[in-house]
Amino acid sequence: MSRGPRKSVTEPTRGYRVFQGVNGVILTLVVIVTLYPFVNIIARSFSGERQIRAGEVTLWPKGFNLTTYKIVFEDDAFWRSYGNTVLYTVVSTVIAMTLTTIYAYVLSKRELRGRGLLIGIAVFTMFFSGGLIPNYVLITSLGLKNSVWAIALPNAISVFNLLVMKAFFENMPKDLEEAAQIDGLSTYGILWRIVLPLSKAVIATMVLFYSVSFWNSWFSAFLYMDRTELMPVTVYLRNLIAGATTGSNSGAGLDQLSQAAANIQSVTIVLTALPILAVYPFVQRYFVSGVMLGAVKG
Amino acid sequence: MSNHGQLSRRSLLAAAGFAGLAALTACGSGDEGGDSKDLSKKQDGAMKEYRAGEQFKATKALSLSVLHNNNPVYPTKKDWLFWEEVTKRTGVTLEPVDVPLSDYEKKRSLLIGSGDAPFLIPKTYHPSEVAFVSSGAILPVSEYVHLMPNFREKVERWNLKPELDSFRQSDGKYYLLPGLHEKPKAGYSLSLRTDVLDRIGVALPTTWDEVYEVFKAIKAEYPDSYAFSDRWSTNTVYPAGALVSYLGASYGVKAGWTYDNVTFDTSAKKFVFTGATDAFRQVIEYLRKLVAEKLLDPESFTQTDDEATRKLLGEKSFGISANPQELVQNYRFNLEKQVKGAKIEMVPVPLGPAGEVVLGGVRLENGVMVSSEALKSKNFVAMMQFVDWLWYSDEGQAFCKWGVEGETYTKSGSAYELKPGISLMGSDPKAPKDLQKDYGFFNGVFTYGGSWDLVSSSFGPDEKKFQDAMATRKQLPIDPPHPLQSIEQEQATLWETPLKDHVNQNMLKFVLGKRPLSEWDSYVTELKAKNSERLADLHTKAYERYAKENA
Repeated sequence: MSRGPRKSVTEPTRGYRVFQGVNGVILTLVVIVTLYPFVNIIARSFSGERQIRAGEVTLWPKGFNLTTYKIVFEDDAFWRSYGNTVLYTVVSTVIAMTLTTIYAYVLSKRELRGRGLLIGIAVFTMFFSGGLIPNYVLITSLGLKNSVWAIALPNAISVFNLLVMKAFFENMPKDLEEAAQIDGLSTYGILWRIVLPLSKAVIATMVLFYSVSFWNSWFSAFLYMDRTELMPVTVYLRNLIAGATTGSNSGAGLDQLSQAAANIQSVTIVLTALPILAVYPFVQRYFVSGVMLGAVKG
Repeated sequence: MSNHGQLSRRSLLAAAGFAGLAALTACGSGDEGGDSKDLSKKQDGAMKEYRAGEQFKATKALSLSVLHNNNPVYPTKKDWLFWEEVTKRTGVTLEPVDVPLSDYEKKRSLLIGSGDAPFLIPKTYHPSEVAFVSSGAILPVSEYVHLMPNFREKVERWNLKPELDSFRQSDGKYYLLPGLHEKPKAGYSLSLRTDVLDRIGVALPTTWDEVYEVFKAIKAEYPDSYAFSDRWSTNTVYPAGALVSYLGASYGVKAGWTYDNVTFDTSAKKFVFTGATDAFRQVIEYLRKLVAEKLLDPESFTQTDDEATRKLLGEKSFGISANPQELVQNYRFNLEKQVKGAKIEMVPVPLGPAGEVVLGGVRLENGVMVSSEALKSKNFVAMMQFVDWLWYSDEGQAFCKWGVEGETYTKSGSAYELKPGISLMGSDPKAPKDLQKDYGFFNGVFTYGGSWDLVSSSFGPDEKKFQDAMATRKQLPIDPPHPLQSIEQEQATLWETPLKDHVNQNMLKFVLGKRPLSEWDSYVTELKAKNSERLADLHTKAYERYAKENA
């Protein structure tokens, strides 16, 4: 692997070319394996019931059909849960970003007294947790149950994200901050006007990490919410999939119904995954450099 | 590396510590309830004279928290007529704590463990209540059924005491108020393509020997297909759980998904290991014969439900296990669309050596646990009366199932009919309203059990025919109570799963011909090495102890 490029920079050796070829094949296979379920789910969501049941749908919709989309779009409960998910994700991500950024910034200052302790407190939670029931009792007695805070606050700081950010801030040239200090900026001024504008990459990455994890999460909501109208779309989806295997459906006409039974899961999965997938292309620019930032320290 | 080890050991210790703490908290909350048999201070809102058949009405307005299973087929709505009407009739306002069906058990454990459970915890399947007994978090309801005249009356009239006794724990009490059925309701049986049978000129089978003949006739006509390809092999540890279960019942043995490691041998008056009994062997032999002659698809024991259904629809097979709902809504509905002239019907479970029987103990259904916290409430007596009315009185049961007479249904004789414009499980596709979705009746949390009249009132024509045939059969005797003490229980748990796995694996090997049946004796020896006999003895001991203590 390393033999190739060392010999010559402009002309790759044969070994290196073979390696690249093999690499390409393997990675293509990985891509296919990863993408196929997505494509299949999308195809199923647009397919007719008979074709789905006969197992004919693979990459392309067969017997194009939008009935299930119509049924889901008309379902108030779906949109209510969807709204909840958006609300929980936005609020939680804003809080998580604020807290993680200022915590990481503080930890990146080597001269800070008690820094070791502060890091220790954070890292401790990576290895130990109070456990399910104590956490539940805590949240309940703090009166956070059935509110967005029960989801946002306990998950506000992800220690992994915190450490990545800390490493990023540590890499920032010290001179820059010193120059700002000389020019009369306060500590908060430095963070706000100098450091943050230079940290767009890591911030974009962290926003992505946090929002994806909040968007996909269901467990906190399931634990701390007692009313259906407060559940996020992930819980709705989970319940739908469980129900589809146990209950019979009712309400719509039988024909419509069996169409819905055939692909309501794929339709809902598509609708749930779509927005968060759509975010990726926009932040990818930052994302690629952002994850690596802080990985290697100079 | 060593650092790693240390960390995990430490975290284990910490985890153990927390678990201990949690257990302590849970116990603490249970103890305070006290042994207060004295209910005189807990009469708030209760009726002085409350009798069976009487309408319960709280003497002052009460509210009661209840765990509510949110079924995606009829998602919970606040404006259901059900909630409103309950309050109107009983003066009790129900406050549902909504839990998604997908994770109902998980949340139930969490709420009970943290001492935050609602007073009423329905939709609990025996024996899952046993896990909560030792913490004291749930109430030994058997001590309080004197407050429940309808419950006692039904237990007596339908002779359910032996069944109920099987719910008792080693302290002689039971902790779950189960749903009560007048008659056993059968669930599963064979369904066969009757148009094919007509064409080749054979009648519907009534015994398992005839099933074999019918399968052979189908195979002769369609040598490239299987006569039968089955489902219900995934999402359960039991291969072809349904088929093996109803076949087993015909041989008088608990098999398939009704399998239980121990069975009471009434003649020897002791427990024996089910997987080593003769009847169990006969079941295996029968299945082996079907597979060996290529009548039964060997994939029946491993494939998914979808695959099995697809084979039926694609005429790769001509029979499949069914329940009345699957028969109508899945097989028949889809077959008619895909195969011209196809007809499919469910037969009453064919008879075997055990004669006209069904499994015993099926007249109890899932039911309600009561939180120990409820006993501290001033409204305790009223609550128990309310539970008695809603779940166990004839009016309460009819109300939960069909709703309000004149508004959601009309009744003539014992026949219930929905008002025009209201549908139930697709009964009237054009109806604008749905009994479950829009009114909140026929809700699995509140509707189950009851008299045969009420239970059969919602049967479709197919189910009615099937159930009427099955209802004449006798129940197999149920095992006498044999509650284990907690140390025995722990021991039994360690033995149970490996034994069950061994039985399942070897049943599959025998049936598929991977292990010859001549090795049956060595299979039994293997079971003994896995403590099958000690497990049976443990239960025999518990049975004898219980019989002596409760003589």
